[in-house]
Amino acid sequence: MTDTVLSVKHLHKKMGNKPIIHDITFDVFAGEVFGFLGPNGAGKTTTIRMLVGLAAADGGEIRIGGISIRDQFPKAIAQVGCIVENPELYKFLTGRENLEQFARMSGGIPPERIEEIVRFVDLERAIDDKVKTYSLGMRQRLGIAQALLHNPKILILDEPTNGLDPAGIRELRQFIRRLAEEEGLAVFISSHLLSEIEMMCDRVAIISQGRVISVGLVEELMAQFADQVDWTIDPNFISKGMEILRGLPVVSEVWQINEERLKCKMNVERVSEVNQALVKAGILVSGIATKTVSLEDLFLTLTEGGGADEPKHAGTRAK
Amino acid sequence: MNQSMLGLVQNETVKLLRRRRFLVVVLILAILIPIFTYAQYRSVMTAQERMGTTDWRPLLTQQIVDMQNRLASSRLPDEWRDLIKVRIQQQQYYLDHDINPMAPGGPTFARGFMDQAITMFLPMIIVVLAVDIVSAEFSEGTIKLLLTRPVRRWKVLTSKYITMVLFTSLTVLMTLFLAYLISGIVFGYSGWNLPILTGFQVEGSELNTAGVFMLPQWQFLLMQYGLGWFVCVVVGTVTFMVSVLVRSAAAGMGIMMAALISGMILTQMASSWEASKYLFIVNLELTDYLNGNLPPITGMTLSFSLTVLTVWAVASLIVAYTAFVRRDVTS
Repeated sequence: MTDTVLSVKHLHKKMGNKPIIHDITFDVFAGEVFGFLGPNGAGKTTTIRMLVGLAAADGGEIRIGGISIRDQFPKAIAQVGCIVENPELYKFLTGRENLEQFARMSGGIPPERIEEIVRFVDLERAIDDKVKTYSLGMRQRLGIAQALLHNPKILILDEPTNGLDPAGIRELRQFIRRLAEEEGLAVFISSHLLSEIEMMCDRVAIISQGRVISVGLVEELMAQFADQVDWTIDPNFISKGMEILRGLPVVSEVWQINEERLKCKMNVERVSEVNQALVKAGILVSGIATKTVSLEDLFLTLTEGGGADEPKHAGTRAK
Repeated sequence: MNQSMLGLVQNETVKLLRRRRFLVVVLILAILIPIFTYAQYRSVMTAQERMGTTDWRPLLTQQIVDMQNRLASSRLPDEWRDLIKVRIQQQQYYLDHDINPMAPGGPTFARGFMDQAITMFLPMIIVVLAVDIVSAEFSEGTIKLLLTRPVRRWKVLTSKYITMVLFTSLTVLMTLFLAYLISGIVFGYSGWNLPILTGFQVEGSELNTAGVFMLPQWQFLLMQYGLGWFVCVVVGTVTFMVSVLVRSAAAGMGIMMAALISGMILTQMASSWEASKYLFIVNLELTDYLNGNLPPITGMTLSFSLTVLTVWAVASLIVAYTAFVRRDVTS
């Protein structure tokens, strides 16, 4: 993962006089699925429009395969396949005619490549029908076909699961993993659904209000906000309890909430083990509350500026 | 034109044809030209009835005699004298070649049709053809696919413009072809060599007929359809700009229709507002200069109108390219 396919540095964008993107910086490497996570209105689509040359940046630099998109647009964009928002194709043309349009624009794409890509997205039977007769799933696949037609190095997808049913989402997920792992493509996916990013991506950039809040491995971010267990014990044993918890290898961090409650980070599946250790030391445990922290909690914490020690309650869905 | 531009124009042609724009245009022509042919036929019949005779030869002979009598009158100014001389030659040609000037053939109908169509009918057809050539990509969202290819934006727009000019030219050709073919069924297909008077010059508010001469009809038609083509390209170019600036086809259509219709109204009442001659919409009636009709506003000549139209077309292109290349694409 050393081959940087997409490099974004200090990207700025104003809408009128109002800055809407402030200093966005990140890199995407070959063979990884990179998530771009943020609530609606955070600037995801604006950023993507700049990545693919639909909008001009007011500052900063975008390089694709080392080539600046502003200075050498055709050369840079030739390495990009994208679907911005919905896959809007020419509905009055057939699937094949659509692909032929884009093949002529890219240049040097033999007819066999069209056949190959049609097989790849499994559209052989419908390719000579007009696109207006296609289902949403079929349009999505044709959209992916046009994005991959010219063998790009990076695939940029804006909210790719919008409007898909669960089966379609699962299919897309597998498809994207396959592209990254087998074909070595970099895949850049924006989403406002945290679960989606958690399941699909290797790394993630979290953005809010036009700023990157955090970039890192999805696993690392998850570990940072590992599951928590809330212990209610006899106030007399509070310091002893703390000591014991700190001494256990399963527990990574312990802190006191009030005179009878302790909180620690640990794997919730090993609660009984820890409980046993406490009981063995003669500490009376009157209550155990476990909390699984999803990326959603993490996200809410980061974007709402809440303290890391007290994540907001799970269950509220970020939108 | 290099290979990549050829591919782009091919793309645009496929889209335009598959959107059935050209089909609509051909259908409009194919339906309206027979209607005009029938109207022309009726007016020929009425004229003959009024004359009380279907024999046109004595009538023409009488006209020639009248004109010769006027020539004999010594008080006639010199220019008029020249014009009447040419008119007599023309009538004599009709008589000698056994051509009834009242009952035109296909070429004459095509000529009359262009005279009538150049201000409103053809520009409207061109608007139908060109109004959504750019805006449809925006309203359908396909612009995002079009502009994320390894092709610079100005090239994309150029391919669209070339395609527009291509189909405008085809439309003008199609008009000539259909007008000749359909009216010929009723009026016959002869008349290519009919002599037509042209060479009028406008000086101030006066018509100078000193330079008037006769031209075979086919040459006249060539000039006339050439001017018609130019008007169509200019209207197409302005429509093209509107298509870049306005996303909705309906709005674009409305803007262009309003412009064309105000042009019609202005030419009828603009003589008191001289500055209106710089609007492209009052300069569309180019064939009037060939026919020797006085222009709507003093000071307008063929070269003046051509210049005004060219300036409008160039300005429209500058606006269209600037807007298209610079604009951020938002949903």
